[in-house]
Amino acid sequence: MLHLFARKAHTKPEQSPRRRLPVTAQTAFDPAEPTQLYSDPLQRCLQLERYGHLLANRRKWKDHPDCHNVCSTARERIDEMFAIVPEGFASLPQVINDEPGCEEITIETGSFLLARHQVTNARFQKFVDAGGYKLLELWPKEIWPHLIDFVDATNHQGPRYWRGGRHCKTLADHPVVGICFYEAAAYARWAGFRLPTEAEWQMAATWRIRSAANVLRRYPWGDSLDTYRCNIWSSGMRRTAPVHEFPDGAAPNQILQLVGNVWEWTACQFEVSDGEGGSVLSDMRMSAIRGGAFDTYFPLQATGFFRTGLVSLAREQNVGFRCALDVRKPKP
Amino acid sequence: MATKHAEVISATTCLICGTNNPPDGLLCEECDAPMAIVQDAVAQERRPKIVSVIGESNVGKTVYLGFLLDMLSQRAGDFEAVPKGAYSIDLQQSVISHMARRQFPPKTPMEVDQWYWAYYLVRRRQPKADWVDLVMPDMAGESLAAEVAAPKTFRVIHNLLNKSVGMLLLLDAALAANGSTQPDFFGMKMLSYIDGISTAKGRNRIETPIAVLLCKADHCPECFDDPMEFVKANINRTWNLCESRFENVAFFATSVVGSLGYAVSQDQEYVTPIPLHTALRGVIEPFEWIVDQT
Repeated sequence: MLHLFARKAHTKPEQSPRRRLPVTAQTAFDPAEPTQLYSDPLQRCLQLERYGHLLANRRKWKDHPDCHNVCSTARERIDEMFAIVPEGFASLPQVINDEPGCEEITIETGSFLLARHQVTNARFQKFVDAGGYKLLELWPKEIWPHLIDFVDATNHQGPRYWRGGRHCKTLADHPVVGICFYEAAAYARWAGFRLPTEAEWQMAATWRIRSAANVLRRYPWGDSLDTYRCNIWSSGMRRTAPVHEFPDGAAPNQILQLVGNVWEWTACQFEVSDGEGGSVLSDMRMSAIRGGAFDTYFPLQATGFFRTGLVSLAREQNVGFRCALDVRKPKP
Repeated sequence: MATKHAEVISATTCLICGTNNPPDGLLCEECDAPMAIVQDAVAQERRPKIVSVIGESNVGKTVYLGFLLDMLSQRAGDFEAVPKGAYSIDLQQSVISHMARRQFPPKTPMEVDQWYWAYYLVRRRQPKADWVDLVMPDMAGESLAAEVAAPKTFRVIHNLLNKSVGMLLLLDAALAANGSTQPDFFGMKMLSYIDGISTAKGRNRIETPIAVLLCKADHCPECFDDPMEFVKANINRTWNLCESRFENVAFFATSVVGSLGYAVSQDQEYVTPIPLHTALRGVIEPFEWIVDQT
């Protein structure tokens, strides 16, 4: 039984809810310890947090003595990790400058599950440890020649800012950055999830549900910018924050940091026009990213509906991702 | 607070070229520098320090300076800044309003009387820290190139660089990373020009602090890992000249644009670059270094 509508209580300090996170200096790189993987494939899936993959393939393990328990645990973990986004709609401007009256496409979004947090370094480490970069079935064929470029600062396969294929221990609960769109999509596929579409992401951040009021939120928490509720340039941190911070900036379903901290890759290609009939292009394919980051200077670029894109192969220090999952329709 | 400068500043003498002007003049008759700067300096009772932002056309001097001033006025980093006069705010207003609309600001015209000038009081955010008066003009890249090619074509540039207590030399890292020698040659020309007008001759090296900024570093993120190594590898001639003639040089990587798109006109004749979103990195650090050196 999933309890996806239930509000989860966030642990936050009682005395000063409107605290600024301290601006701390970057510490020396302290590599995370290597993971000892279980030999049992079912237990290993659980250890690697491939919950979606586990449930999608549970028939494969139906004769395994731990199948029932492991699947129950996976269900519980999905319940903890994800929140349901109700059906609604998103209007995506089709021109580069979103001005009143500009051309828009309105997309209906069905209910779906969206991760409460961005994928952390610790979670992505499991993908790297499991040899995710070597599993060709996770990667589109056109990207195979580029796989050798997806290396860290020491030439090991992994996100750009890692070293020796390990993340920095002090950043374990920070969002993973320095990964391109394809790495984000490969992780999501490996774990049995997917990336949200642009419309789904916007629906989750603006909470535009079908109602008589027909309103949308500028920010997940409401309409006014509050730099205590998110990590953008004017919040003063100037670097990533742990994914569980800024609880006051949560969306109504308790999804955190949809605005700020790091931009998030979505499943969609970024396509807009310049408003005069011409297209906005880049040297390579661009994917849509959403939400703004710790270094986003203009608050209007860190709202629920601001659209922008980035070259899909870019591995930036301010772009991460979160996963989505379809809601399983009950059998009639 | 402010310490009185021993030197008396005349309200009619241009701070840049020293020419005596009529009391009602708006611009210096000789070099076109705004006389409002002199009047503000007289009000402060001290001579301001000049910090010059130099670089070739299209390297991003205006955008860099505009964001720097805006960040300073928002108390970014360890500094606070107070603009003197409305004219000092025009540059940051132009840059910020354009970039927020995803447009680059217009090119700085070659005519000196069309340049933006910014006069700021800057200090570290510490108790009893002294204010420093800084004048930062937004020079046109074409004018700089013309002055370097034929010295004294733009007397104001000659005088500005001669009087600068520190310089921010902007070089296009994206071009250099693509194998172009253009940033390297421009850096050499600019530094040899500064060497030429300097009083340090012979074996004496020039002590004016110079921050070399690798601009558009978002195109080549390795710049951020080690800017000096990037310069050694990709802008080597400039690096050698720095090592031979300049005592006080530091290297920085900077970027303002998070992602760049191109609007292609319907007839595919025009391509306009579009800053899709901002991502500020390494903007304030070179300035802090320069102020610490002066």
